[in-house]
Amino acid sequence: MGRYILKRIGYMIVTFYVVVTLTFLSMKMLPGTPFKFANRLSPEQLNQLKHYYGLDQPVPVQYLQYMWNFIHGDLGGSFQYGMQPVTEFLMQRFPVSMQLGIESMIFGTILGILLGIISGIYRGRFLDWGMVTLTVVFISIPSFIFAAILQYFFSVQIRIFPVIGWSGPMTHVLPVISIGVGVMASIARFMRTEMVEVLNQDYIVTAQAKGLSTSAVIYKHAIRNAMIPIVTVIGPMTAAVVTGSLVIENIFAIPGIGSQFIDAIVTNDYPMIMGTTELYAALFIVTIFIVDILYGVIDPRIRVSGGKPS
Amino acid sequence: MTSSNHDITKDLFTLADLGDTAADKIAGESVSAWKDALRRFVTNKGAFISMIIIALIVFFAIVGPHFFGYDIDNQDVSRANLPPKISGLEWIPAFSGHENGVDVYKEKNVKTAYWFGTDQLGRDLWTRTWHGTQISLIIALIATLADVLIGVVYGGISGYFGGMTDNVMQRIIEIIAGIPNLVWIILLILIMQPGLLAITVAILATSWLSMARIVRGEMLKLKNQEFVLASRTLGASDRRIIFRHLIPNSIGMIIINTMFSVPSAIFFEAFLSFIGLGIRSPQSSLGSLINDGYQMLQIHPYQTLYPGIIISLLLICFNIMGDGLRDAFDPKLRR
Repeated sequence: MGRYILKRIGYMIVTFYVVVTLTFLSMKMLPGTPFKFANRLSPEQLNQLKHYYGLDQPVPVQYLQYMWNFIHGDLGGSFQYGMQPVTEFLMQRFPVSMQLGIESMIFGTILGILLGIISGIYRGRFLDWGMVTLTVVFISIPSFIFAAILQYFFSVQIRIFPVIGWSGPMTHVLPVISIGVGVMASIARFMRTEMVEVLNQDYIVTAQAKGLSTSAVIYKHAIRNAMIPIVTVIGPMTAAVVTGSLVIENIFAIPGIGSQFIDAIVTNDYPMIMGTTELYAALFIVTIFIVDILYGVIDPRIRVSGGKPS
Repeated sequence: MTSSNHDITKDLFTLADLGDTAADKIAGESVSAWKDALRRFVTNKGAFISMIIIALIVFFAIVGPHFFGYDIDNQDVSRANLPPKISGLEWIPAFSGHENGVDVYKEKNVKTAYWFGTDQLGRDLWTRTWHGTQISLIIALIATLADVLIGVVYGGISGYFGGMTDNVMQRIIEIIAGIPNLVWIILLILIMQPGLLAITVAILATSWLSMARIVRGEMLKLKNQEFVLASRTLGASDRRIIFRHLIPNSIGMIIINTMFSVPSAIFFEAFLSFIGLGIRSPQSSLGSLINDGYQMLQIHPYQTLYPGIIISLLLICFNIMGDGLRDAFDPKLRR
């Protein structure tokens, strides 16, 4: 286990290094300039600006400079906001996105597990058929379409929830549902498969043969065992939540890193784009890592020594 | 108990006469793997209906843009923001040409009926929607085909040759997979100018990974089986073994995975167009139409409605069909 963790940490560092380098290189290849009103500036002024931001040096020098600063926790200053440090922006906006993500995950996971259990118990009946259909629909419909539908009905038609914003619990409802239903559907689907599988196991038959009531068998044996593998879907789920939150933040005008990222792309704010990309990558890599380790800890039947492709 | 067994002696049994004909009757009709899969697929109602819906959408995507002779960029502000109206179907509220109880067509003095309405520049949404569907489908098709090609070759080589080659190739995949799709796609789109090519390449860059992994897994499973050994003993080359034996044997898994990469490609196109990194006006795609319509959602919801319905239907049907194919090709995986 210890060796496995060390190996995984090694990979994480390499992957992250590749991400940082890739973002740096792609920023160098970007078309357009980061300066406002660049066409109104004289060549001398442009050169002066470039010199000021260190953009006139050869690319390898800029790269080394960037990496050096990076190691020291300095992601550079935002071009659009007067060189205010990128890290400051991220620190300020990250908690909002984190909160949105966690709330959506909790909402989706709890509902998904419940739906999956019910569906698994009533396998093959009408209720199950309805749930399965519902999950396919929710997995398929893109979160932004779902958000638009919710916004139209619950904010424009019946004015229950505010259209946009992020202040107070009422503003959280629609964004959390928009991201959460996708999570819910995936987890429900997975949970159902697990339930069906567990209910066919020998130890369930044994428990029934002992004379345990059906509800005791389901609560004490089936659900507990079926829950274990849920951890594995949470990793890939995080990626979906990040993608989802990016556009949901944009739709509901939530001041998180997603909307910041889109702003940065539109305004060619290089350091901001790089910082956000790296933050996303770091989050993703760390989550996958934690999930893999957790999986080994929770279910000792899984031996990690072989290395599970993540 | 034991004593009673002595009562049963050998001569109590008679040999049943099983002639050649009777032995033949026991065997069922011989069914090839393909026929078997097809039979299972057709009996799956959901998957079959999904296939018909997809076929209909594809049909309309091809002929739809030519129905009224408008181009996707024919603008006329005098007919802007008309709600949907279909002559003969006016009794259905959604196609009456009325908005908030007002007959907009009468008000603007427009005689022609626009089946899906018009947008804020007076462009015919029927034409734009089906043209957009066409673009979305083309992107999905190219991305998927290329993804199958790259994935199969990469996974095939990695799995078949194994050893050092496999090790290096898998480490590369592991690193690429560590980067979130979204980051990859956005960086690639930023470098190339947003457009059809950029989106296709960006989707492609991330989607071949899962195909490569699945094909590698299949290769690892199959390459040590007897029929491969037999083929090798007969002097077959690596190429022949890969293309004549291993890939045909893993074709089921490849098809299943392909069916799931199509909806994900359609989704990413829509997603990118929606955040403004995809297809740009006057070109249309389902994502960009939803984005345009979304700006007007509060006043003219019908502008988002039809592209939204079509993309949702496409994604749902492709997913159901993928599930159906998975059940058809591999009943063991049936859930």
